[in-house]
Amino acid sequence: MTIESVDPDDVTAADILGSAIERREDPALITGDAEYTDDIQLADMAHMSVVRSQYGHARIEDVDTSEAEAMDGVVGVYTHDDLAREDTPGEAPFNLPVGWLLPSLNDVDHPILADGKVRYQGDAIAIVVAEQRYQAADAAGAVDVSYERLDAVTDPDEALSGDARQLHADADDNVAFDWEIGDAEKTAAAFEDASHTASIELTNQLVIPNAMEPRAAVADYHPGTDELEVFMTSQNPHLHRLLMSGVIGHPEHKLRVKAPEVGGGFGSKIHHYADETLVAWCSKLLDRPVKWTATRSETYQTDALGRGHETEAEIAMDDDGDVIGLRVDTRANLGAYLSTFAPAVPTYLYGTLLSGQYDIPAIHGHVTGAFTNVPPVDAYRGAGRPEASFVVERLMNRAAHEMGMDPAEFRRRNFVPDEAFPYETQVAVVYDSGEYEKPMDEALDLLDYEDFRDRQKEAREEGRYLGVGFSCYIEACGLAPSELAGQLGAQAGLWESSLVRFHPSGTVTAFCGTSGHGQGHATTYAQIVANELGVDYDDVEIVEGDTDEIPHGMGTYGSRSAAVGGSSLVKSARKVVDKAREIAAHSLEADPDDVEFENGEFRIVGAPDRSIGIQSVAEQAYLAHDMPDDMEPGLEATSFYDPDNFVFPFGTHAAIVEVDPETGEIEFEKYVAVDDVGNQINPKIVEGQIHGGVAQGVGQALYEGAEYDDNGTLLTGSMQDYAVPKAEHVPEMDTASTVTPSPHNPLGVKGVGEAGTIAAPQAIVNAVTDALEPFGVDHIEMPMTPERVWRAVDASATADGGHDPEDGTADGGDR
Amino acid sequence: MYVSNRHSKGETRRMNFNGTFELEDTTIEEVWLALSDPVLIADALPGCEYLLHVESDDVDFTELSDRADERDAELTGDPEAIAERAFRQGEWYAGQIQVSVGPVNPTFETVVHIDERDQPRMSASGEGSSGDSSFEMSSGMELHETDDGGVAVEWETDADVFGKVAGMGQRVINPVANRLVKRFFGDVQSTLRELQLAEADTPTPAEDEEGGIVDRLLGRSSSNSS
Repeated sequence: MTIESVDPDDVTAADILGSAIERREDPALITGDAEYTDDIQLADMAHMSVVRSQYGHARIEDVDTSEAEAMDGVVGVYTHDDLAREDTPGEAPFNLPVGWLLPSLNDVDHPILADGKVRYQGDAIAIVVAEQRYQAADAAGAVDVSYERLDAVTDPDEALSGDARQLHADADDNVAFDWEIGDAEKTAAAFEDASHTASIELTNQLVIPNAMEPRAAVADYHPGTDELEVFMTSQNPHLHRLLMSGVIGHPEHKLRVKAPEVGGGFGSKIHHYADETLVAWCSKLLDRPVKWTATRSETYQTDALGRGHETEAEIAMDDDGDVIGLRVDTRANLGAYLSTFAPAVPTYLYGTLLSGQYDIPAIHGHVTGAFTNVPPVDAYRGAGRPEASFVVERLMNRAAHEMGMDPAEFRRRNFVPDEAFPYETQVAVVYDSGEYEKPMDEALDLLDYEDFRDRQKEAREEGRYLGVGFSCYIEACGLAPSELAGQLGAQAGLWESSLVRFHPSGTVTAFCGTSGHGQGHATTYAQIVANELGVDYDDVEIVEGDTDEIPHGMGTYGSRSAAVGGSSLVKSARKVVDKAREIAAHSLEADPDDVEFENGEFRIVGAPDRSIGIQSVAEQAYLAHDMPDDMEPGLEATSFYDPDNFVFPFGTHAAIVEVDPETGEIEFEKYVAVDDVGNQINPKIVEGQIHGGVAQGVGQALYEGAEYDDNGTLLTGSMQDYAVPKAEHVPEMDTASTVTPSPHNPLGVKGVGEAGTIAAPQAIVNAVTDALEPFGVDHIEMPMTPERVWRAVDASATADGGHDPEDGTADGGDR
Repeated sequence: MYVSNRHSKGETRRMNFNGTFELEDTTIEEVWLALSDPVLIADALPGCEYLLHVESDDVDFTELSDRADERDAELTGDPEAIAERAFRQGEWYAGQIQVSVGPVNPTFETVVHIDERDQPRMSASGEGSSGDSSFEMSSGMELHETDDGGVAVEWETDADVFGKVAGMGQRVINPVANRLVKRFFGDVQSTLRELQLAEADTPTPAEDEEGGIVDRLLGRSSSNSS
């Protein structure tokens, strides 16, 4: 069911939108021709290395830089004291700001170099600048830091227990925030009325984003003009410019942030870290270019983690199996400091999705954020929504079992019905559009579900354990509108800006404030613009990721680029067409109202032979020899597009697995992904996003997890110890789509970048527990390593007195 | 050797190494004697440059290195000579130990405190630091006679490892620890043979034995904390 790629030469502008054309960016990326930040070499460039805390929690008694300073090639060694000095750039406090506030938020200081205390292993203490990279690294090793080690805490429940060492003086009991959503009383009443309830306790483990390209920055300060250029691995250059400008006190209009090619981010390159800012500070201090590239170990130690929830959740049903209430209590691990959007992730990006695809009349969610001695935790592919979907879909499985109903049918009877859209949930959002049964039906078809249940039964009789798991996920993409985001605490608008510019020769450059880093925007955006303007796809070039070139922008995250950036391009292109129409009418000596535009041609209504192409209009607009009265020359338009609402993609993923209870090994027999992401700009790219997303979801379900010891030392700090799935670990996928256009944007798109990651983990956990039902196994924490699976089977077998499920008559016990 | 690092919630996550090493054809007294000698320990421990008695845990390692160069560090089979320099309960010892862990070769400035010394049990705790790595540990061991005329050393170490070395990951650290322990006991075994401690007058811990050297050696006397 793989989608075949199409050569763009075989597609006309009119058909380009929605075609599975090949990605135009790939040749440069796969031949090594593309330029990444670390490829940048500037004359006289120095290199920065960071001295990092070896402890998860410690007081710094002294930093002796003398030996490092005396080493070959060392330009300087700097600590927090040097930042604050009067003869160095910027002014104290040199704290990283948080970009999302909550009423109860303890907005603790986050210094870019440790100010007397370190709070996670990897926290920056000093920086070394040297002529060569190796010299900087060697000298960093020679900086002598005297520590007083303090007790560390890495688990949010332990951090909040009152017994743990406090990280920040002004965050009592390590509470970062206390937040709730929904109606507690109404939900309590629903549970009192319930005839059945089910509950679950689960951990959504910390994961490390693992972008292929490590974070990096090159800063180049020009003292003559006071201009500071920073090339860096960024998902949102304009946002980084704003934040960096504040931290180091450099005027925003004299700061250029450019993202060269960026090799993946998955959220980890949204946030503003200390390192990139320190590179900029060094370049200003030294009047020369400075580069820093994270080592892979630094990537593991300092990239913002994802997930990190401890949750208890309950669901209430009436006699018929209708869900009548749901409540959730979560303790979210925020790490040592508040990263850029950290407060939003376990609150508004999590609690608002607790209704799933279901019509639930009473919901209450309570979340406590905890400071712990791990790196800051922030958005990671899905950001809050995978955690929500995981809780809801695990609970739906438990609930179906409690009701004695088939898990697919139980879900179906509780879906928000088609006619209920737009549907207002009990957790503050309005779903735009949906037909939730369609992907479910398609998935059941692809699974051959009825047949599977027979096969499952037969297999059990042979002592083989097959299981199926469903995940009917929903996500919210393109967080909007800005007014709402502001009310919820965002310290930024969430619109998107673009500029569409015709050149005199008729070719087009379109600039967009999103910042792709592997998503294929150069292709999909060109499809959108070519389609709107009726010009050849090859005549359209896309520019992203440079604050000097692009009017403004909010960046790429939260599956927002197509829905918000793409819509902004549509808006700009339409403005261009409007102006071109007036010029065309002038040239055709007609009233603009009588001029129609189709396939790149302006025609007088009723006189189709009198026409002029938009590319000729562009030439005229720049010649400006004969323009309508009062019209400015040129043909370009800028727009700021602020969406009316989120968009809500949805779908059903399902996995069939076989589990070997003797060894704990899990094998995929089938993985089905049916996604409704609204209209598709490029089905091949949609499919690729689903594949990649599911791979990351498989990673969380089976392999990945950041493990720390009691001192906050990372135990999984290398590719050897932290397992991301390899190709052989990712199942063959049957992918299919349904299409329910979003009514909120001109493209009718919903967003696809995170869907697979949101959907996959719970499909797999549900499948494994279904397979192990005869053993009474009802939950296994992720990652479901063979050891954990084996232990779960072993523990259940022991608990029920050595009951042998292999006699084929097992009823599954209490699940 | 068993090394555990897997944990589930609530369990402690300190690294634990433990094992039993069997030395053939020897007695508890001989092994106790050998393991009481800082010179023998320093010699047997791979990468250990010296191990010297110090007054407290606040150690000037530059000065200590000079002292190490001047000292008499001959291995000996003479119980009296060993008794003179044997570990004493409640005292501090410091040494410099280089360890190769993957691509890094940190030299740890290490200070150890002898927590308990009471034949056949000894326990110690300590910490070591290099520029970008450090460790804290507590160790214990107990000697048993084996059925076939040898001695089993049952040992256990709990350790916390920090910094760059910790970042190498368990898969790198565990084999290193394993190798160190094997080489250490292997060396102890061959040193025992070379020094022919077995042929020396084996002190027997009998009640009527004169006090002094033997008692001090066996960690039984209170006079060892002078």
